[in-house]
Amino acid sequence: MPDSDEPGMIANRIEKVRAKREAGSERRHFELDDRGFNEVPKKWRKFYRHWEGDGDTLGPNEIICPVCKVVIRSVKELRPGDRLYCMPCMSRLLVVEADDGTLTTEVVY
Amino acid sequence: MSEFNPHSLDEDEFLEEVHSVDFWFHAVDGYLRDRTYGRIEGASHPDLDDTDRDNLITTLCNYCIGETAALEASSGLISIAPNRHSKIFLATQVVDEARHLEVFLRRLRDLGVEDPESEISVRANPHLVAFKDRLMELVAGHDWDAAVFAQNVVLETMEYTAFRAHMSTADPATAEVLDGVVKDERRHLGFGENDLGRRLMAMPEKRQRLAEIRRELDNLVLATFEEVQDSLGADRSRRVDLGSEYLDAIERLGLT
Repeated sequence: MPDSDEPGMIANRIEKVRAKREAGSERRHFELDDRGFNEVPKKWRKFYRHWEGDGDTLGPNEIICPVCKVVIRSVKELRPGDRLYCMPCMSRLLVVEADDGTLTTEVVY
Repeated sequence: MSEFNPHSLDEDEFLEEVHSVDFWFHAVDGYLRDRTYGRIEGASHPDLDDTDRDNLITTLCNYCIGETAALEASSGLISIAPNRHSKIFLATQVVDEARHLEVFLRRLRDLGVEDPESEISVRANPHLVAFKDRLMELVAGHDWDAAVFAQNVVLETMEYTAFRAHMSTADPATAEVLDGVVKDERRHLGFGENDLGRRLMAMPEKRQRLAEIRRELDNLVLATFEEVQDSLGADRSRRVDLGSEYLDAIERLGLT
């Protein structure tokens, strides 16, 4: 992480991506099912799954944790500015738009 | 909307939840409930040939050294942890590390090693022993940042990577044992990166010293990692990928 990522700058960045997100169309909601991820207590399990390798794809409500590579799932379609938590590795993440337009995450310490 | 949604927690609630003994207990119950010493009860697996058995014994002996280092260091870190969340989390890590050591010792006995302690001494990788000594110096010096970096970022990330790679080629019995260990390691490396990340945000001046510690430890850990890969017969083209997760963590923390 660059030295310039002070807490205030991160807050500004979150605000910017939130504003962009709000300008978009209404987002889809998803009913999550338990995908057999057994590394967190039962009540949280459906929010995570393992990446299954070649042939697996991410849904619009899913993203990969950059720290531990678990797939994080949300009840709603992900947009830049969303905050997610990866419970298996305790990371706080911010959804951002990559240069190629796809969604990715940054760790927020 | 789900009744329980982790992403709806506020940050303090999230940190309290994931550092708690309650979270740890219900997490490990999910993947260890049906296992005895890391093995699925009732499962039987074929014997290894002599060469594979000997290579595996060397590898497991060095896993035992790494786990002993993590056990001693994580218990030592509890008294100098800067907050109660970290103390509680480290207590769970101590139990995890003790279990890892126990399951690897048990696997050595399964392989016919009658005196694991002396076998570990004979087969110890000197780079790993030097890493353990340096880690314990950092703990004894009450150097929280450097010790958490050495243990939970450097050692845990490398173990996580090595164990996962080994799992993909291991005999079924060893793979069962490694599976439970890898799931624990996710918490340990995540704790290290996130704790240090928060501290470096608040005290960026610490970054330079940690980068120096990193350069000092890299040689020891990378040499260990290479030798473990050699003993497992892992092909060289895959080793760059194995190191990349460690380098990604270092980059996220700004310690390049």
